[in-house]
Amino acid sequence: MSNLIHEIHEGILDGNQKLVVEKVEQAINAGLTAEEILNDAMIEAMAEAGNLFEQGEFFVPELLVAARAMQGGMELLKPLLTRDNVKAKGIVLAGTVKGDLHDIGKNLVCMMLEGSGFEIIDLGSDVDPQTFVSTIQEKQVDIVAMSALLTTTMVNMKTTIDALSSAGLRGKVKVMVGGAPVSQDFATKIGADGYAADANQAVRLAQSLLE
Amino acid sequence: MIEKTFTGKDLLFSVLRHEDSDAVPWVPFAGVHAGSLKGYNARQVLLDPGKLVESLLEVKKVYDPDGMPILFDLQVEAEILGCELLWADEAPPSVASHPLAATKAIPEYIPQTEDGRIPIILQVMHSIKKEVGDTTALYGLVTGPFTLASHLRGTDIFLDSVDDPDFVTALVEYTTQVAIAISKYYIDAGMDVIAVVDPLISQISPRMFKRFFTQPFREIFESIRKQGVFSAFFVCGDATKNIRAMCETNPDCIAVDENIDMVAAKAITDEFNITLGGNIPLTTCMLLGNQQDNMKYVVDLLDALDHHNLIISPGCDMPYAIPIENTIAAVQAVREPDNTRKVIENYTKAEINIPITLPNYASLTKPLIEVFTLDPDTCAACTYMWRAAQKIKEILGDSIDLALYKITEIETIARVKKMGIEKIPSIYINGELKYSSIIPGQSEFLEEVKKYQ
Repeated sequence: MSNLIHEIHEGILDGNQKLVVEKVEQAINAGLTAEEILNDAMIEAMAEAGNLFEQGEFFVPELLVAARAMQGGMELLKPLLTRDNVKAKGIVLAGTVKGDLHDIGKNLVCMMLEGSGFEIIDLGSDVDPQTFVSTIQEKQVDIVAMSALLTTTMVNMKTTIDALSSAGLRGKVKVMVGGAPVSQDFATKIGADGYAADANQAVRLAQSLLE
Repeated sequence: MIEKTFTGKDLLFSVLRHEDSDAVPWVPFAGVHAGSLKGYNARQVLLDPGKLVESLLEVKKVYDPDGMPILFDLQVEAEILGCELLWADEAPPSVASHPLAATKAIPEYIPQTEDGRIPIILQVMHSIKKEVGDTTALYGLVTGPFTLASHLRGTDIFLDSVDDPDFVTALVEYTTQVAIAISKYYIDAGMDVIAVVDPLISQISPRMFKRFFTQPFREIFESIRKQGVFSAFFVCGDATKNIRAMCETNPDCIAVDENIDMVAAKAITDEFNITLGGNIPLTTCMLLGNQQDNMKYVVDLLDALDHHNLIISPGCDMPYAIPIENTIAAVQAVREPDNTRKVIENYTKAEINIPITLPNYASLTKPLIEVFTLDPDTCAACTYMWRAAQKIKEILGDSIDLALYKITEIETIARVKKMGIEKIPSIYINGELKYSSIIPGQSEFLEEVKKYQ
């Protein structure tokens, strides 16, 4: 691993956005490709941050600052990735379900997915099933990721899946769900393709759904 | 001299004083779920004092708690301080806007007793204290300083903790003073236990906890203790790593949810001689499971833990739509663990077919009322249901038949399985389910029986 890659990697884990931006600039100027920087520094660092989160070493603040540092570097890489025609691993449409305003979990999942090479369309919180449907009709989407914190709103995951089926879109996308009251059992019952207990597992799940 | 009966409240007090006890107290956190017992939605019980009192008295009657919260809504203080709320029918409201999202000016205003929904809460506290306060310990729930700070600031508070720690310290100093003021109002209204509820604590590291929250929580618990009542620290979510730091703030009790391993947590709380409460899983067990799931979870918990310094509770605020009979099963397991263990064993054994002949319901000469109970002597809801049926028998005499079944008997389990009964206590007339968990009124019940005469 080159020094710059190592410094970007560590900068992300330290949540040091300023350093990450500076080192990404230096790496680009030194002739590293955007894809190399993305794969070897950013994705690796976010994967490690995710593992630390899963192991209880990182908590929400640490993960958020790591993701923010990563995003600082990503802003520089995005135009280069487009120019070089580097494709995202997949396109994920994310949102908390209708009636649910709790978006910390969803935001973490989006950041982790972005840091792992996915393109994110974030519909925000309290998302109507029809909004999921119309977005899929308008844009290329591979995975729909839904989150709920309340036992009363998690049923809207099923409502959304039903809406996708009614619109004839269910076969075109994979559906993954998560959130405090949600379980694998529940995910299976409502016909989702997968369940992830935390942001790190969500990345692994998204990757496996597209294999 | 009349000897004073040892009440559920006495039991809970004794456990909160960390005394040895033969029994384990039961504290169901029926927040908006209380409304479901009377057919009221969340909005109705959180805004209408009459409906809340009615619902809480039903909780007392059906769930027979040793301690119970008056209102479980972590948005009460936030609403007063300018957060807009999104109301729901089957859940407490959610915070929809954060007054400090675009400013770091720390508020100074401390909510007063006439602000927001506090008058409603105080009115209900006084009423419930009068009605059941002699026998049941009452909990006043206060929003914890971190959760209130996040309501005011939004999720940026997590980044603030890194970028601007002085701001977080100042904001938490303010929310701590709010919690102390609200606690005092609730103590003055007769609450026996003040629970400081701070689910967001599960999302931070022990290091951050110690940096920002140890002192504030100590201050709150110290203030509660000085006013002569008990304190509890409720955290929902995976706060495994923070249990020790929470103990260091010196509450009388810590309550946790299913994300926490109770055995490991109790090893820590025992070091500090703090009572631990928990942790029946809210969704998988209480909301989506059946009666046996709930009995088994509670019995397993009681078997795995030393009963000293222990309270059995749902993991956190009970979801609105929990089937009543699931909670009744949990109560029964807390109160009668040995019998319940036998019931669970019998459920497995009854698979090995015990021959049961059901009555030929279609050709009965008179109505047959069958009452299925966990045990009419020990389960409050079962007692009421059996009494309701006995009353009908007294009125209608020989013109009806009445049968009582106890789930503690293996034959009953075989019968229950053969009839496909899922909810107990329940009343069947001529083999048809008429009432489950909700005790029917006499006239309604009589009318129903007469249809079969």
